[in-house]
Amino acid sequence: MSENNEKKVHGIVAEYESVDTLLHACRRIRDAGYKKTDAYTPFPVHGIDKALGIKPTVLPWIVLGCGITGTITALVMQIWMNSIDYPYIISGKPYVSLPAFMPVAFELTVLFSSFGAFFGMWALNGLPRFSNPLFTDPRFDRVTDDRFFLYVDASDERYEEGAVREIYEQTGGEYINTVLDDDSSEKIPKPIFMAWGLVISASVIPLLVVLKMRVTNSESPRFHIFYDMDFSPAKDAQQGSTLFADGRAMRPDVPGTVARGESNYDMDFMTGVQMDQLSAMDAPRADRLVRLSLGPIGPADDEAGDDENQNEETRDESTAAPSAGGSEEAKDTTPWLTTNPLGNSEEVLLRGQKYFGIYCSVCHGMNGGGNGLVNRRARKILSPTWIPPSSLHQDTLYKDQYPDGKLFSTISNGIRKMPGYAGQIKAKDRWAIVAYVRALQLSRNASIDSFPEEERESLLDEQKQIEQKLKEQAEAEQQATTPGQASS
Amino acid sequence: MSEHAAAEIKSADDPAFQLPASLGSLSIPLSIGGLVLLLAGWGLANSIHARFGMSAYLTAFIYCLSIAVGCLFFVMIQHLCRAGWSVVIRRIAETVMLMVIPLAVLFLPILGTLLFGEGVLYKWDDPNHAIENHLPITAWMEKTRWLDSSWFTVRAVIYFAIWAALALFYYRGSIRQDTTGDKAITDKLQYWSGPAIMMFCGATSFAAFDWVMSLAPMWFSTMFGVYVFAGSILSAHCIISVAVYALQRRGAIQDEVTIEHYHDLGKYMFGFVFFWTYIAFSQFLLIWYGNIPEETHWFYERGLGQDHLDTWGTVGLILIFFHWMLPFAGLMSRHVRRNPKLVFAWAIYLLILHFVDVYWMIMPESAAPDASHASAEGAVGVAASVLCVLGMFLLMIGMVLKIAKQNAVIAVRDPRLGESIAFENM
Repeated sequence: MSENNEKKVHGIVAEYESVDTLLHACRRIRDAGYKKTDAYTPFPVHGIDKALGIKPTVLPWIVLGCGITGTITALVMQIWMNSIDYPYIISGKPYVSLPAFMPVAFELTVLFSSFGAFFGMWALNGLPRFSNPLFTDPRFDRVTDDRFFLYVDASDERYEEGAVREIYEQTGGEYINTVLDDDSSEKIPKPIFMAWGLVISASVIPLLVVLKMRVTNSESPRFHIFYDMDFSPAKDAQQGSTLFADGRAMRPDVPGTVARGESNYDMDFMTGVQMDQLSAMDAPRADRLVRLSLGPIGPADDEAGDDENQNEETRDESTAAPSAGGSEEAKDTTPWLTTNPLGNSEEVLLRGQKYFGIYCSVCHGMNGGGNGLVNRRARKILSPTWIPPSSLHQDTLYKDQYPDGKLFSTISNGIRKMPGYAGQIKAKDRWAIVAYVRALQLSRNASIDSFPEEERESLLDEQKQIEQKLKEQAEAEQQATTPGQASS
Repeated sequence: MSEHAAAEIKSADDPAFQLPASLGSLSIPLSIGGLVLLLAGWGLANSIHARFGMSAYLTAFIYCLSIAVGCLFFVMIQHLCRAGWSVVIRRIAETVMLMVIPLAVLFLPILGTLLFGEGVLYKWDDPNHAIENHLPITAWMEKTRWLDSSWFTVRAVIYFAIWAALALFYYRGSIRQDTTGDKAITDKLQYWSGPAIMMFCGATSFAAFDWVMSLAPMWFSTMFGVYVFAGSILSAHCIISVAVYALQRRGAIQDEVTIEHYHDLGKYMFGFVFFWTYIAFSQFLLIWYGNIPEETHWFYERGLGQDHLDTWGTVGLILIFFHWMLPFAGLMSRHVRRNPKLVFAWAIYLLILHFVDVYWMIMPESAAPDASHASAEGAVGVAASVLCVLGMFLLMIGMVLKIAKQNAVIAVRDPRLGESIAFENM
C-alpha cells in the first residue's frame, strides 16, 4: 500500500453542527437507499435509529436464549448433583425440591443473560477493536465534544462518492472527507511487550513458591488459614465434652424414647428366645434380656445395665460351651426359638448372603468352613492367643442341636473370642444371616433327590468332571515331588 | 430532537385536557350501582356466616385500598426521582390516590367488628381464642399487647392520617400548579418526597400486618408488608394503563400520551410482575426451608405442603401460573408493550389476578369460628366475594370520575410537561 502511495478508501464522512441537521441528513441518506451507514454523536440521540433506517437489533433474542440456558443449566446441574449423582437429603426435603433450586436458577438466569447481553453486544459490534479508520480524521475528535458526524461506508452497494458528497453538501455537512486507511504502524510498541513479559514472569512467582514448598521440608508447623475447617469443632465418637454433666460428647437415648426404625417391641424377635416361656422359667433372666435388647433406658440404669451385660455374656458362654466343646455339662434349657421368624424366602437368603459376606466371612470363610482370611493370617503369624473360629458345618451346630434362636443369640452377643454383632447388624439382618447359615449347612448335606430330575444328570456329570480334575491334580503333585525325592 | 415532531404543549384549558363528558356522566351511575352491588354481595356473603361476610368485605376493601395506596406511591416515587416521562399520566394516579379518604369511611365496618362483636373478623379479638386453640399463653399475652382493639383503632387512624395527608399534599400542590404554573411547587413536592415515602412505607407495611396478617394471629412474616405492597404497586400501574387507554379512546390526551408512555407502563408492569413473584417466593422459601410449624401453618392452610391438591392449593397454583408465568412471558416482548391495546388488555388481566391474590391472602381465614362452615364456600361464596369487590371497585371509580371532572386530567402547567410529551425510549 505504501509503495503505490494510494491508500484504501473506507468511506466518506461529514461533520454537522446540530442534531437537527444531522437527523435531516440521516433521513436523506436513508431515503437514498444506503445501508452501511453510521452516525456519531456526543450523546444519545432519540430516533436516530429510525432516521438512519437501522433495524431493531437481535440482541434481545440472544439475551433470552442465554437466560433460558441459564435457567436450564441451573436446574439440570442441581438436580444432577443433588438427586442423581450424589443423592443427599438436606433438611428432610426431597432430593428434587424445586423451591431450594430456585435461587440458583434465578441467579444463573441473570448471570447468563447479562453475559449474553455484554458479549452479544461485543460480537454484534465487532468488538474489541483497537482502532477505526475514522480516527485518522483529526476533526473526528470533536465527536466526543460538540460535533455530529455521518458516515457512509464504501462497501455499500450503492456507494458512489459524488452522490454521497452531494447529499452531504445539500444537508449542510461541513468538512466532507474521505476516510482513508490508517497508515500508522501496526506494530505493537516494544514497551507493551516488556510490560507483558514482566506480568507473565511475575505471575509465575507464586507458582514457584508453591512448588518449592511441595518439595522441601520445614521445621515450622503447618499454617492453618481456616483453622476450624482443618480441625472441625464437631465432636467425634467417644470424645469427651465439658458441655454435659456426664462428660460425654455422645448422648445416650433420651429416657422413654425410641430411635427411628427401632420400634420393634417383639422380644422374641429381638432376643431369639421365647420370652413367655423364659419368664415362666427364669423371670430375672427374662427381665435382663429385655433390658439388654432395649439398650440403656436411662442414666440411672446405666451401670447396672453394664454389669448385667457382662453376666449375660458369661452366661451365654456357659450355655453355649457344651454344644461347641461337646463336653458333658449342664444341658441348655433356654426355650430358644426353633424357627426363623423371617422364613427363608429367596429375598431373605440373598440378604443373609450379603451380610454373611460382609461380617462373618472374614473369619468363618465364604463357605462357612471356618477358614476365613483372618484365620489364615492368624495361623500364618502363629498368633498365640488365636482361637480358631468354628466351622459352621459341625453336627453340633445343626438346627436340631443348635436352634435358630440360639444361633441368632450367638451372632448378637458373641461367643468365646467372637464379639457380639448386635450393635453393627440390625436384628432383621441377623435373622437373615441365620437363614443363610442354615442354607450353607444344607449345601453340604443335600441329597441328589432334592434336585429336579432333569438337572440330576448334568450335576452328576459335573461331579465326575470335578473328581477327575482333583485326581489329575493329585497325580501331578505326586509326580512333581517324586523326581525331587529321587535325586536327593 | 426526534423522528416524529413532538406535539406542541396545548393551552391549559384545551378540551383535550378535560375529562370526556361520556366518562364524567358515568360517575353517579357507577357510584350508585357499585354501592348496590357491594351491599348485595356483602349481604349474600353474610348469609353464609358473619365471618365470611366480613372477610369478603375485607377482601374488597384491601383490593381497592391497595390500588389507591399504590397510586400514592407512584406519585411520590416520580417526584423522588424527578421523573420527566410520567408527567402526562401522573394526574391519573393523583386522582386515584385520593380514594384513601373515602376508603377510610369504608373501613368503619371493619372497626365495627372489633367494637360490637367478639372475633367476628379478627380471631384475636375473641377472648376465648387462645384457650380454645390451646395456644401458648405467654406468647398469646405478648401478641395481645399489640393486637388490642383500642390500640388497633389508634393505629388505623394513624395510617389513614398519613395516607390522607400525603395524598392531599401532593394532589393540592399539583392542582395549584395547574392555575399558577409555579415551578416552586414542583420543588416543594420533590423536597418532601423522601420523608413522605418513608412515612408511607411504615404505614403501608404495618397496615398490612394489622389488617391482613393478623387474620392468622399466631403467624408472622416480616416480609408480608412488602408482599402486599408488591401487588399494590403492580395494580397501580395497571389502573393507570387502563385509565390512559380509556381516556384516549374517548378523545382526551391523545397527543400527549404516546406509545412511549405505554411502553414504559408495560415495562413497569413486567417488572412488578416479577417483583411480586420475587417477594412471594422469598417469603415462601424462608418459611419452607425453616419448616417451623408456627410459620408453615399459614401456607399449609393455603393448600401448600398437603398431600392432595385442595381448593386453596389450586388457587395457589393459579397464582404461580397466571400471576407470574403467563404475564411474565406475555409482557416480555417490547412489541407487546408498544401496543396500547395489548398493554390495556394485560392491565385488565393483572387487575383480575390481583383480586385472586388478595382473595388467597384473606379468604382462607374466613372459616366459621365453630367450624360449621369451611373457608371455601363454593360458588355462592366466590360470587358473593366477587360482587363485593366489584361493587366497591365501581364505587371507587365513580368517585374518581367525580373528582376527575373538576380538574384537568393532566398536569397542564407542570414544568416537565414538554419533556414528558417528547419522551422517547431508547
